[in-house]
Amino acid sequence: MDTSERIAVHPILGVPEKGRQVQFTYNGKTMSGCEGEPVAMALKAAGVMVHRYTKKRHEPRGIFCAIGRCTDCVMVVDGVPNIRTCVTPLAEGMDVRTQDGVTPLAGDKADKEEADGTI
Amino acid sequence: MERYDLVIIGAGPAGLSAAIEAARCGMNIAVYDENKRPGGQLFKQIHKFFGSKEHHAKERGFHIGEELLAEADRLGVDVSLDTVVTGLYPGNEVMIKKGGQVSHVRGDTVLLAAGASENMAPFDGWTLPGVIGAGAAQTMMNLHGIRPGSRVLMLGSGNVGLVVSYQLLQAGCEVAAVVDAAPKIGGYGVHAAKLARCGVPFQLSSTIVRAKGGDHVEGAVIGRMDEHGKIIPGSETEIDCDTICIAVGLSPMNQLARMSGCRMEQNPKKGGCVPVCNEYGETSVRGLFAAGDAEGIEEASSAMIEGRIAGIACANRLGFLEDGKAKEAVESNEQALDTLRQGMFAPKNRGKQIEKTDEGFPVSQHLLVTGFLGDDEVEVYPGVTHPKGLHPVIECTQNIPCNPCQDACPHGCIHIGSFITALPAVEASAECIGCGRCVASCSGQAIFLVNEDIGGGYASVTMPYEFMPLPEKGDIGLACSRDGQAIGEAEVLDVKSVKAFDHTNLLTIRVPAELSGKARFYKAAQQ
Repeated sequence: MDTSERIAVHPILGVPEKGRQVQFTYNGKTMSGCEGEPVAMALKAAGVMVHRYTKKRHEPRGIFCAIGRCTDCVMVVDGVPNIRTCVTPLAEGMDVRTQDGVTPLAGDKADKEEADGTI
Repeated sequence: MERYDLVIIGAGPAGLSAAIEAARCGMNIAVYDENKRPGGQLFKQIHKFFGSKEHHAKERGFHIGEELLAEADRLGVDVSLDTVVTGLYPGNEVMIKKGGQVSHVRGDTVLLAAGASENMAPFDGWTLPGVIGAGAAQTMMNLHGIRPGSRVLMLGSGNVGLVVSYQLLQAGCEVAAVVDAAPKIGGYGVHAAKLARCGVPFQLSSTIVRAKGGDHVEGAVIGRMDEHGKIIPGSETEIDCDTICIAVGLSPMNQLARMSGCRMEQNPKKGGCVPVCNEYGETSVRGLFAAGDAEGIEEASSAMIEGRIAGIACANRLGFLEDGKAKEAVESNEQALDTLRQGMFAPKNRGKQIEKTDEGFPVSQHLLVTGFLGDDEVEVYPGVTHPKGLHPVIECTQNIPCNPCQDACPHGCIHIGSFITALPAVEASAECIGCGRCVASCSGQAIFLVNEDIGGGYASVTMPYEFMPLPEKGDIGLACSRDGQAIGEAEVLDVKSVKAFDHTNLLTIRVPAELSGKARFYKAAQQ
């Protein structure tokens, strides 16, 4: 059994068609993924399971439906919270952060900008 | 407000098929879909479909999706993607949201083809990252090339659970087990048999008690259930897995139907709450139609035909298609639909205990509980014979609507007849030339070519093989029985990969003659 998360060659589908390698950050850490694939897939390939924590009980949530319906995988992307990462294409330089409750974690970009008066 | 002859909600198999029929009649159509690409779930279906040759049987789902899209493109059907239909009001007024903008359109006819959503099973820990829907697993591995996990526990043994489990194996994942609360496997026996011979165990009358793990799945506890659905104390066992996949059925997407005010019904044979429709798919609201899973949970093959019927009916309603032609077109589609709705797994037979096939053969109970046919049981079926020389062995033992194998054989070795659900029989008088077309044509991967005596005390068995890496001629490995156990040494005599077989490779192995009736899978020696 292959332990890497990405399928190199599939017996029916062959070599998966993927976009070029791009870099993005996850909680400030640089990671790479394929341009255009859902952000959630790039995270999964990098071994990230937890996308957010629930507001009341602080429970972890991750990918569940993978088609944009359940909203379990929402994160703070480029400062905007509640982004469904399973249907949001990865772009170079994206800033992806774990979401805490329904708002960005304290100290996130949006908060900072708010504090700085930039938004 | 913009007005269309037909507004279609959902560009999956039903919606696209309706659009194709309507466009042919010259209707002005709008098709909305919330996704980034059309085709619904078809592009995640990498297995070969069942059914009749006339209706895409033995084609892989994503190829059917490509054909459907190409046909729609040729007819100028334009699908608005990333567009969510958020409301359906009196007068068939449709509210759409695209890019944060809301607008309204009106359809002289409207088709609801929004598909289904997955049912869930809320066991302890079901919200942990690593617990995913079966659809999510398909999306990840078949659309995006990402493995959902290393070792997956599947909950649900219906066709979705079985097909997705097999696809997980194809993606290079391990499947720890298939668990189902029911005492019998819910999906096609042939799908279960594909898993069993790869060594996947079935745990029936069982369910997941809890998912284990801190911030993601690190295992599961399953328990056996008594007849009241309660966990039998002391029956809990731990399963090593990092992913739990839930495949416990689908429910029709009915929010818009309910909003429209059309008459609804709770119909267990249709998978839940659905609009009440006439034979053309028209609801109690004039001009509002429903097709596909939104009208009742079934296969994509039936959704496509239902969509065609609805498209024709809409065209007829507005005068784009005269009565006679419409009637004729609807009738031929109804006939095709009726064919697909036959057999043991037909909607009308849901929940029934079936002991005998239409032909009077006993239905293998062993298959229903373990996922594989007993070595002795298999002998009673008409596809299993023992002539001298090479011949097909067809381990197809349930009445399901599928017949490509009959046409696949150029020498008439295989007989099903005009009744599509009949069990295939091997004709004693016809000569097998070993072309292997039947093996590749069988969507259930239930056909093998066997020569019980190739000399030297050996037999040869040719089987369908859809895994990587592909074995090579001369490889020495293990022959496995129907339950996935290694039963002897096998030498790979031949590996045939033909374009027409569409990635179903034919693997021929040499095994000791006494294993000719048992060896049904091959594993490389070092695994």
